[in-house]
Amino acid sequence: MKRFLFGSVALMAAGWASLASAQTTIELQRFFGACDAEYGSVTDVSAAVGECGIITALVNKFQADNPDIKVNVTTVEWPGYDQLNAQMASGAAPDVVSMHYSAISDYQSRGLLDPVDGVLAAAGVDPAAFTDAGRGGVTKEGQMYGLPFDNWTMLFHVNLNLMKDAGLVNADGTPILPKTPDELYAQGKQFTEKTGKPYLVQILANETAAYARVLYTFLQQQNSDFFADPTAIKLNTPEAAAVVGMLKKIKDEGLTTVNMDYPAAVSGFINGDGGIAINGTWLIGDFVAQSQQEGTALANGYTVYPIPQLFAGRDATYADGHGWVLPHKERSAEQDAAIAKLFKFLADNDYHWARNGHLPAVKSVFDMPEFQNLPHRANIAKIAETGTALPAAVMRQFAIQDIIGEEVGAAVNGDKTVEDALSTAETRINELLADL
Amino acid sequence: MAESWRRSQWRNGLFALPFLVTFAAFLVFPLIWGFWLSLHKVDLFGPGRFVGFDNYVKVLRDPQFRQALLNTLIFVATTVPTLVALGLFLALALNHLTRATAFLRGLFFASSVLSVTIVTLIWRIVFIPNDGLIALVFDHLGWAQIGFLSTKGWSLFSVGVATVWWCIGLPMMLFLAALQQIPVDHYEAAALDNANRWRVLTRITLPAIRRTVLLVAIIQVVMQFQLFGQAQLMTNGGPAGSSRPLVMYIYEVGFIRWEVGRAAAASEILFLIILCAAMIQYVVATRNQEGV
Repeated sequence: MKRFLFGSVALMAAGWASLASAQTTIELQRFFGACDAEYGSVTDVSAAVGECGIITALVNKFQADNPDIKVNVTTVEWPGYDQLNAQMASGAAPDVVSMHYSAISDYQSRGLLDPVDGVLAAAGVDPAAFTDAGRGGVTKEGQMYGLPFDNWTMLFHVNLNLMKDAGLVNADGTPILPKTPDELYAQGKQFTEKTGKPYLVQILANETAAYARVLYTFLQQQNSDFFADPTAIKLNTPEAAAVVGMLKKIKDEGLTTVNMDYPAAVSGFINGDGGIAINGTWLIGDFVAQSQQEGTALANGYTVYPIPQLFAGRDATYADGHGWVLPHKERSAEQDAAIAKLFKFLADNDYHWARNGHLPAVKSVFDMPEFQNLPHRANIAKIAETGTALPAAVMRQFAIQDIIGEEVGAAVNGDKTVEDALSTAETRINELLADL
Repeated sequence: MAESWRRSQWRNGLFALPFLVTFAAFLVFPLIWGFWLSLHKVDLFGPGRFVGFDNYVKVLRDPQFRQALLNTLIFVATTVPTLVALGLFLALALNHLTRATAFLRGLFFASSVLSVTIVTLIWRIVFIPNDGLIALVFDHLGWAQIGFLSTKGWSLFSVGVATVWWCIGLPMMLFLAALQQIPVDHYEAAALDNANRWRVLTRITLPAIRRTVLLVAIIQVVMQFQLFGQAQLMTNGGPAGSSRPLVMYIYEVGFIRWEVGRAAAASEILFLIILCAAMIQYVVATRNQEGV
């Protein structure tokens, strides 16, 4: 009996060992948050909600479908590039990394990324399957340096319940949104007087990205070619002063929440602290889920629209996207094959990713009835045309974003004059770009 | 001395070798390499080119560096005396062996074992507007809200409060250890002379622990000049850079702007500042001691 037991255990151990050695391991590093407590074992992707839930479920599902591949996931704090830089510098880069299209140029120009054309070809993924925006976001010098995953932008997330209280809803139930800065002030004032709450829920503290994205959007609406030369920004302009002046007036007139950082702004909107949250596409899924729960501030009263055109010029909104890139390193043929499988799986499931609110990077998803039936997608469909990225040749876009956020924030909070803030931002950015 | 030198053998140095190798590998070599990097225009990913002292000139001309330097000096000048004074006060208050003092010693030291992430998470919950602890108290009292983490002036103060709470354990323990070394007969003699508490403190206790005060002050100066995690996680250096310390400036220049040479130059300047501050403190304190 003892011999039988020992023999069984030895056989099982040998079986596990051979399975483990047969597995190909991929190190995948991503942002999008950590939610293992809720989604750590979920493989039903359709049941997942939000960026974190969906990407966690997608990886779980991929692993379940491919027992010969082990995906080791490292979750980094957004955006995670400082950590990635340290890993690359020490020769310990992961195999697959989530990256914004706006950051790819920095790494590709230094030879830190491998092109993915070969991987896509091996997986049978046709580059023509991707949208122009997605493909353009990852294409540098004629080669694709990432798997396009989505396009995103900032939006007006609307609490219709509060907008009704403020008398800012049309007869058809759609919200009345401003078309000029003056209309925005007037509607904001009306909202605040009627509800006692601020009109906008903005991320004004401890963050820089939101300020920069809003500034880019309203500069693009004024046809301001502030990066006509990708190596030098022009912010000392009447257009930039008009935008920052408007943001400051919104704050000075009490039309916005103040002192809220990103998590506070998200929970503030969910709790009904204000009428319109200026935040990204990635929150649509979460806010829709909230609106489907009775007793919440958003219950049966949530909708979403692109940031309205407030300036004469053109309807435009700043857009970026997420992709999956391959840091330059030695990989085995088995790892390349595993990554090819993973990329095909992610492209095939781009619809699920798009459920969180992002625009899909795979063209065919737009034609899927499931996608077309997703809530509010018709409202934001036009961002496929109005979404505009910064010129791809602009380097260090995250460092630039930090400078703009810091200086515009200083102006909005009254720590600097608008002119001083814009002038300082221009000087700092141009010094940065001149010194690359 | 000469006799012992004659009798000494070079093999005895082997006892110090592990320390010397570690010291050279992890302190001397990085210091020299950092200085070498500071003379180059270089990013994280490849060889750079020699630019002499250009990086130092650029750093010293950078208004953000000067602002970060000022923030750091203000932070050190306010937190170090607070840590020394509060640490001494707690040590004096808890310098009796009872169950209550043993518990309180553990309680005050407990914060020191937490990671910076946990510390900042706790203090974020205290300081955030709307739902934060202070915000709720202010609401209850009908006072106007203060954006502790997003208002110029308050942001550095908030980082300082979290830092003092986090770091108070070590000074308290060092002072407690020093207080317990003071011979009891000194206090008995003072009691016989009918000396009051203030006189005992200023004539017996403080002179006896002067070296510990110096040690605590130097340790805290060196530590607080390296402020980083609390500022990054609580305020992100804002608003308008008003709570950005020097190490955060170095981090941003090196890892976000990819200018490692310039970041190394700023690091060397910070090293010199810390060295000078600690040396000045040491020289002044030892001179005063000699004069007594």
